[in-house]
Amino acid sequence: MDVVVQLQRQLADHTASLFHEGFLNDQFNQLQQLQDESNPDFVVEVVSLFFEDSERLLNELAKALEQQAVDYKKVDAHVHQLKGSSSSIGAQRVQGVCIPFRNFCEEQNIEGCLKCLQQVKHEYSLVKNKLETLFKLEQQLIAAGGSFPTL
Amino acid sequence: MGAAVDHVTAMGMSGGSAEGNDKSQGQRFSCKSKLTALVVDNGGVCRAIQTALLRSYGVDTEAVETGEAAVELIASGATFSLIIIEMLLPFMNGPETAKQIRAMGSQSKILGITAFFDERDQQEFLAAGADDFIEKPLSPEIVIPIIRELDN
Repeated sequence: MDVVVQLQRQLADHTASLFHEGFLNDQFNQLQQLQDESNPDFVVEVVSLFFEDSERLLNELAKALEQQAVDYKKVDAHVHQLKGSSSSIGAQRVQGVCIPFRNFCEEQNIEGCLKCLQQVKHEYSLVKNKLETLFKLEQQLIAAGGSFPTL
Repeated sequence: MGAAVDHVTAMGMSGGSAEGNDKSQGQRFSCKSKLTALVVDNGGVCRAIQTALLRSYGVDTEAVETGEAAVELIASGATFSLIIIEMLLPFMNGPETAKQIRAMGSQSKILGITAFFDERDQQEFLAAGADDFIEKPLSPEIVIPIIRELDN
């Protein structure tokens, strides 16, 4: 079977599962729509930025929550940023965990916050993994001489 | 009177993600007049995406990280058709930034934006002079009607 066709199929299946399983939502499609000849690596660049940003925020959250006197305003600010960025790239499940996280923060519930931190770290690592696979498949497809639709 | 929170408005466009930017038809929505925008957000991801979205519609867009930087830019004479300001900025917050921009006589359309919609934040932002207040993400459904309005 033609390797290009095979890769296209793999890419399509992988992409479909990302949406089907709720890891990504339509906002991710919007990013792909912003990629064109003048901005050829937009999606990878923005997603890489998201990875860097999220890792920083998750570290800051862990640090903030292990303080003797937790600064919940700081925690809230970090969760706010994480929800903003995850919603902007369409990382739906990460975005979703930010909601109870913020509620626990408002209640100054340390247990709840720590639980949410674990959950959001988990969701983040899942979507990171899947997006990296997505990009790898795209690269393989291009290397094999194929292309993929950006719709 | 404060403007209503912007939600998806059915402006005669087809539903779904291809609204106004269906590349399969070879035409992407573009603004008619020379429009400019300023994005004020301390998050790099949001800055990048909002900027790219606006630019994709032909809007000349700049981005800054703080309210202070936005105020400085406008004080130096820069004018913008549209200013999008994040609620939770690190030093001077969104509403305070809007207030200072209005105090300088700016007539720009100001859109407050936030990760978590909250009515008190909405009230604060609108009272400070913002025209609208929405929850992220910034989407074509929100942006296109605004651009159309500014074009006319």
